[in-house]
Amino acid sequence: MKLLWEWMKSRLALAEIWNALFSRHVPEAEGLVGWLYTLGSASLFVFFIQVITGSLLAMNYVPSPDHAYDSIRFINEQVIFGKWIRALHHWGATFMVVVVSLHMLRVYFMGSYKYPREATWIVGVILFLLVMGFSFTGYLLPWDQKSYWATMVGANIASQTPAIGSYIAKILKGGDEMGAVTLTRFYAIHTLVLPGLILVAILIHLFLVVWHGISEPPQKNKGSDKKAGA
Amino acid sequence: MEEKDLNNKISRRSFLTYVIVSLGGLMGAILTGLGGGYFLSPIWRKKEDSWIDLGLVKDFTEGEPLKINFTVRKRDAWSTIESKSSAWIITANQKDFIAFDPKCTHLGCPYRWSVEKRQFLCPCHTATFSVDGEVVSGPPPRALDRYPTKVVGGHLLILPQVVGKGKEV
Repeated sequence: MKLLWEWMKSRLALAEIWNALFSRHVPEAEGLVGWLYTLGSASLFVFFIQVITGSLLAMNYVPSPDHAYDSIRFINEQVIFGKWIRALHHWGATFMVVVVSLHMLRVYFMGSYKYPREATWIVGVILFLLVMGFSFTGYLLPWDQKSYWATMVGANIASQTPAIGSYIAKILKGGDEMGAVTLTRFYAIHTLVLPGLILVAILIHLFLVVWHGISEPPQKNKGSDKKAGA
Repeated sequence: MEEKDLNNKISRRSFLTYVIVSLGGLMGAILTGLGGGYFLSPIWRKKEDSWIDLGLVKDFTEGEPLKINFTVRKRDAWSTIESKSSAWIITANQKDFIAFDPKCTHLGCPYRWSVEKRQFLCPCHTATFSVDGEVVSGPPPRALDRYPTKVVGGHLLILPQVVGKGKEV
């Protein structure tokens, strides 16, 4: 066992990876500022929750107008802990948007997006848009009145785009009318397309975070602030 | 206070490590418990027996087999599947009932009751069964299959599933 562990450590460079990820230097920050630095990890944590609970929900959910609502009722009422898992996914989705937005504000107001971390910021913006995509597509899946009409409003907003609006709405809805194809489309995007994209984007984002290191909190009369003033 | 801190064996760093590991472990345990229960829930799902109400027992005439048609509503998770089915019901005293699966035990043909011969006749291979389901003549390998029956509140209920081939239930 120990031999296997040593072999894995050497061949997979586990110690080096561990040091790069968890023994890296991070800026000294305390109080509220220190907490602001946890928002990125918090987003990652919520993402894991969403992956686990989402995979479980997909086991009992059917993206068809006939069965969507009934299968969700089945999850809520018949499956053990079904209500909990669904609630975790529901609240996780809400928290995801909140935490990701706060993270973005933190990076913006601390100027952490500046040189040399522009690429991290750009990938972050892509991640934000992907989260919005998850929110929009996931909202329809319960197929109740609220989600149906919310998606209808979303598609109508998209159709207001000059020139190409009606085409965007058609692509979103999978046709002229909202119906079965809209639901299967949104489900495929929510569970197949977006997870693949967001996984790649997260990996790039995390690599860049580790590669460039975490930026110092801005301080008066110190560092770049002072130089800029002088 | 200073001295006490110095004597303390546990450092700030290892204290925080303990806190992180135990909080993370707690969250992990809750998630694993919930997710595991959800994933394994088929183990604890109770099979629902769908007993069919065939009406009041006093409506069944004694001694004469009666073919009853009914609709089976089988629950499959969130959907209900309806199918038409039937059974031959026999009672001697309106208390004890026998329900026969309406398919011949030879090749599954539907049989009928002959009032003159007082036998069940299968048209496919001229099999005959007595009133209690025993094979009288022909190729069937065993007596007619039976459905479980019970009387609840003056109503006859049957469970249209064969339990034990051709045996008493």
